[in-house]
Amino acid sequence: MHWYAEGMRREPPPSEPPFAEQLLAQADALYNFACYLCKNAAEAEDLVQDAFARALNAQSSFSVGSNLRAWLFRILRNTFLDGKRRQRKSPLTEESDVEAAASHDFLRGDFEIDRLRGLVARDIDAALSRLSDDGRSVILLDLEGFTETEIASVMDTAVGTVKSRLARARAALRAELREYAK
Amino acid sequence: MSDCRTTREQLHDAVRGRLAEPQRGQFSAHLQTCSDCRQLFEREQALDQALAQRPRYPLPERLREKLVATAAAAATGSSRTTDAAHPTLPPPARRRLGRWAAVVVPGLAAALLAALLVRGVGESRQPLVDEAINDHLRVLYAQHPVEIESGGIHQVKPWFAGKLDFAPVLEFSGDEEFPLEGGAIALFVDRKAATFVFKHRLHTASLFVFRSQDLSFPSTTEHALAGHSAASAASRGFNVLLWQDHGLGYALVSDMAPDALARLAAKLTAR
Repeated sequence: MHWYAEGMRREPPPSEPPFAEQLLAQADALYNFACYLCKNAAEAEDLVQDAFARALNAQSSFSVGSNLRAWLFRILRNTFLDGKRRQRKSPLTEESDVEAAASHDFLRGDFEIDRLRGLVARDIDAALSRLSDDGRSVILLDLEGFTETEIASVMDTAVGTVKSRLARARAALRAELREYAK
Repeated sequence: MSDCRTTREQLHDAVRGRLAEPQRGQFSAHLQTCSDCRQLFEREQALDQALAQRPRYPLPERLREKLVATAAAAATGSSRTTDAAHPTLPPPARRRLGRWAAVVVPGLAAALLAALLVRGVGESRQPLVDEAINDHLRVLYAQHPVEIESGGIHQVKPWFAGKLDFAPVLEFSGDEEFPLEGGAIALFVDRKAATFVFKHRLHTASLFVFRSQDLSFPSTTEHALAGHSAASAASRGFNVLLWQDHGLGYALVSDMAPDALARLAAKLTAR
């Protein structure tokens, strides 16, 4: 691990860590994201292995200085979508969280906030798993600290689309959580 | 002052702490006067607090070892150009390599494999690192992670009096980047610890302060903090910093980026 903060003395690293080591530093976050995408630990392991091998193989296409983390998450997500396409043997239809959100009336005001505070980890997990793949992805990438521009790069879409998907997905999640907060 | 439309467009950036001045000031001023927008803002914050309790799935050790082996195997392959969006899997090792490389390169790969395994697996076998992460997870999953909510360090520190057999030494009272949420008592290995909980955007950091007597701290000292050395480790998606000072041990744990955690550590140890 490398620390570069001000106020901390440390010998400068002789050179940037090897590419493979930089990838391995992201493995924990990548696996966590994969578990939410696949909803299955064994599939998540396969997905991370495939994505990791693809990233190593595509090293020459990575521009040094650009965002390695976003690049790696993009490869993982593309690998996941490739797998889904192969399984379905038909074009992916775009899922939407709009209907889910529209089918619930929202709790209003402080009452909703109080109920959200009473939720536990398994409620959150269950509610997230009921979102569309895109909805779940955009929420988790946002929580991982990616900016909307970075999420757009990971999901291969426009920043405006990310903004609207994120707003839709959070509204749908709030509606789902209402069921668990009862 | 912003209007409702502008405020609602800025809501997510504000929740993420990404608004710069003067927008941030205008946003805050609008919330003071508009209860509807204030309620929307609080609702977004409450959703984030709920989401912060989502489970985090740690990387299985056997998968880490497989990834390290894959990296080592790739080191024996030759460089090829592929498209990242549709790359192919690596070819069998030693393709395109000359006879000399068949002898030398496996040695290099073994060295890389050993180095990565030591770095990736060895770190997670530090008992104090594991203890710190497990205790941090208890903080994350607790319904009420802090027993005393912070009104400032001068309110939190006295709360520990009579609950511990030592006085936790901490001067940093939190700031805008790392607000102090509060404190609690935890059990660290076999002894009581003072727990201080800090926030950084959506991330939570736990600082455990405990008597360091008879505990075996990691010998690695990667960097120095205001006069005393600290050991750092990464495991299960969390970063950990451990140091000792005047008979007390300190364990700082979070999933925030290493540079952010290092900034917090520098503030905690500044004199």
